[in-house]
Amino acid sequence: MTRREHQLSLLIRASAIVLLLVLWELAVRLGWIDKLFLAGPIEAALRLGPVASKVAPDILATLVEFGSAFCIGIALSVTLGFAINQSPYATAVFRPLLVLGVTVPKVTLLPLFLLWFGIDKTPIIIFGALSGFFPMVVNVMAAGTEVKPNQLLLARAMGYGRFDILRKVTFPAMLPVLSSGMFYACNAAMMGVFIVELGIARQGLGVVVHGYAVTFRTPDLYAAVLLTASITVAINMALWYLARYFGRWRR
Amino acid sequence: MRWGLVLAILVIWEAVTRLGSLNPIIVAPASVVLLQVFRILFGDTTVPNFYLNTAITLGEVIASYLITIVLGVFLGFVFASSKLIGDAFEPILLVLYAIPKIILYPLLILILGIGALPNIVFGVLLGVFVVIFNTSAGLRQVEPNYLRLAHSLGYSERAIFFKVVLPAAAPTIMAGLRLGFGYTIIGVITAELLVVSVGLGWLIDNATVNYLTAQLYALVLITLGIGVAGNSLFGAIERRWVK
Repeated sequence: MTRREHQLSLLIRASAIVLLLVLWELAVRLGWIDKLFLAGPIEAALRLGPVASKVAPDILATLVEFGSAFCIGIALSVTLGFAINQSPYATAVFRPLLVLGVTVPKVTLLPLFLLWFGIDKTPIIIFGALSGFFPMVVNVMAAGTEVKPNQLLLARAMGYGRFDILRKVTFPAMLPVLSSGMFYACNAAMMGVFIVELGIARQGLGVVVHGYAVTFRTPDLYAAVLLTASITVAINMALWYLARYFGRWRR
Repeated sequence: MRWGLVLAILVIWEAVTRLGSLNPIIVAPASVVLLQVFRILFGDTTVPNFYLNTAITLGEVIASYLITIVLGVFLGFVFASSKLIGDAFEPILLVLYAIPKIILYPLLILILGIGALPNIVFGVLLGVFVVIFNTSAGLRQVEPNYLRLAHSLGYSERAIFFKVVLPAAAPTIMAGLRLGFGYTIIGVITAELLVVSVGLGWLIDNATVNYLTAQLYALVLITLGIGVAGNSLFGAIERRWVK
């Protein structure tokens, strides 16, 4: 891509965003949509600071819950995925079930989670972990097929030990798919955490958003949503660039 | 083997609930739940308007999915049609994709009110991204040599599109449509459960708050079954169309 084209695409992107913001502000200012239901971008941005400082404990709670959910989900799926990868028979048995686990609406289990784990942090972490688990385990299995038998054969022929093969051949081959799996798993785990928080929890960003929504504190609501969106986008995009970084040798 | 696994889970479930000291409010035995599934399917009166509510949920899913297909494929074509537009908007789309959409659901409720409409919109929000990404990626990754060959054989632009580009992009687009279908179902059912108004979500909530444990498990199983059925239906269609 030439420099000029790159600048032009940046310009189009920037003007589209500005246009959207202006339309949003106008929709409120000119009363197209009632102020009770929609706060303008300026108003929401002004509330960003006060809301952020007020809900700091909730941000922390959400991050801790998300962090634990993500780590548990990844640890379980990587362990199980690697174990299943060892045997083609196990892959044939479990793969369809686990793929199904990604697409089935797990949220229906939420009322059962309430019965089993109460309304404290536990259901949040477990549901988040469950949400992240399925996309990741499917990706771990897909990553297993990236390791070419010829490469393993070559490494063994050149006298590599078991551990060296794992470190120099298997792992680098799996890394791109593993890291993009992390991106999807992260997104899914966040979704899981916020579903429970919006539904039943007592502390966290989802609870804050829910509280502002049901009490019609619209500017605060929009500020809280913006805040949540920026935190989650920052985490997700970091993983996205990590995935691109690890996948760069393929291109 | 796969069915053996399912059977083993059912047996363990039954054994634990029968022999263990678990509270029957928390876990119902497998046999009771399965019996309840049949009773609900064949007109048990303790579940209010089961078929009507199921029809509402299915209607929401279908409406949501139709919008997802049309919007997603259209935007995918737009982004693929020009490199400039694609480059300009794809980063925005990626950022939007990275927001957990669920956090926007309270805003949807606020703007659209409570009812079927926010559920449908939320389903679209969840399903549309993967359709857009796959459509535009599929259209753009067509082997350039095929295009050159078609050109030198004197095909018109129109013929190239229908005879070369579309068939080459079809598997990727179909994969996107299938994933989008899964996400749309997840979106609609999540939305129904979070703000309860109508549909299967309402039935499940009704069973939860009244501590009708067997009914709750049965309804959850039925909902999961609908999701599985939808996905396998889609898998069958895909196998027929994409070779």
